Amino acid sequence: MAAADDVEFADTDDLDEAEQEAVQDLLFRLADDELVLAERYTEWQVRAPTLESDISMANIAQDELGHARLWYEVLKDFGYDETDLIWERDADDFRHSTLVEQPFEEGDWADAIVRAYLYDVAEDIQLHALENSTFEPIRDRVGKVLGEEDYHLEYATNWLKRLAADDEGRENVQDAVDRLYPYALTLFEPADEEVEATIVERGLRGEDLVELRDTWHDRVSDFLESIGIEVPGLDLPDQYDVHISPDELPEHLGRDGDHTDHWESLFDEMTEAYDELGRDYATHIMDDDE
Amino acid sequence: MIWEVFRQNQAGDYHTHCGNVHAPDREMALLFAEIQHGRRKPTNSLWVVPQDEIGEVDTEDAKFGGTTDKSYRFARTYNVEPAAEEVEASEKELNEAERKRGEA
Repeated sequence: MAAADDVEFADTDDLDEAEQEAVQDLLFRLADDELVLAERYTEWQVRAPTLESDISMANIAQDELGHARLWYEVLKDFGYDETDLIWERDADDFRHSTLVEQPFEEGDWADAIVRAYLYDVAEDIQLHALENSTFEPIRDRVGKVLGEEDYHLEYATNWLKRLAADDEGRENVQDAVDRLYPYALTLFEPADEEVEATIVERGLRGEDLVELRDTWHDRVSDFLESIGIEVPGLDLPDQYDVHISPDELPEHLGRDGDHTDHWESLFDEMTEAYDELGRDYATHIMDDDE
Repeated sequence: MIWEVFRQNQAGDYHTHCGNVHAPDREMALLFAEIQHGRRKPTNSLWVVPQDEIGEVDTEDAKFGGTTDKSYRFARTYNVEPAAEEVEASEKELNEAERKRGEA
């Protein structure tokens, strides 16, 4: 399924209808994941185990928000503005994985770290698969995002090693892995098989979701097993090259707009000030990057 | 455990003390320092040093510079007109040092 070498899209004008849909799908997945994860991370403000880990988490949240903005900026080329993309959008139109919308139990730092780790490895793998995207605006942004992701991974792995160093911590990490792993698999679920096929055929992403998921699973389980954490096996579908959801997927995938109830309440909270102030457009406190 | 943090603006500059972080070991101290002290200002490099490892001598223990007049340490006797740039700088340094000593 390698992309034809001569295919190259400089901007949205070069895309036909199917390609437009595919690029938008790709961007919404990227942007929504980052936005919602950042929103959850900020719940750790003033609640992380130490002042320093608090500030680090807040910084990571800021990074992810910045990445969301980079991807939403590209969506603006399709005629959306920030108001449509976030504030006036239906909660059901968000395409993030259900991993990032799950609430944290109070004080469950292991959950935050495990989630960050599962997500950051997936993001790292996905970004590398976008480095040679045939769609230039995506390709151009990958380096910027990857530049900040190294820290996130280092931070998460560093904490995981520490948490898993004693029995109680290891148990907390194991619980979090058991709970979050099925949700993490939804990171690699397509919203629509046809759209996903276009993404790969036109070289918008270098690898398909099954390949990404396999790479992710191998990397995640190698590391987690090395610190004494068990990782569920990945039951591959019979037809390996067709994307069929493994049995262990959770009920709600997120990618198709079907979310857990937690998203509805998080979305309400996120847009509460906007609603209460009776706004009908997004205000800006900073000039646009470009 | 407290780690003192030293920040270098750009290659070749001195590392200057800029604060500290709480961390159980060097690895995590570096991770925290990166965010807490390297994020807002231009940073080329950070050092973290265990607070206990820093040796200190202060005015209670020492008479820094001695107690007698040692103005010969400065190049003030060469002030012919026009003063060489280096001489002028040295004088300025001396006057500044004396002024500050007076204030202390």
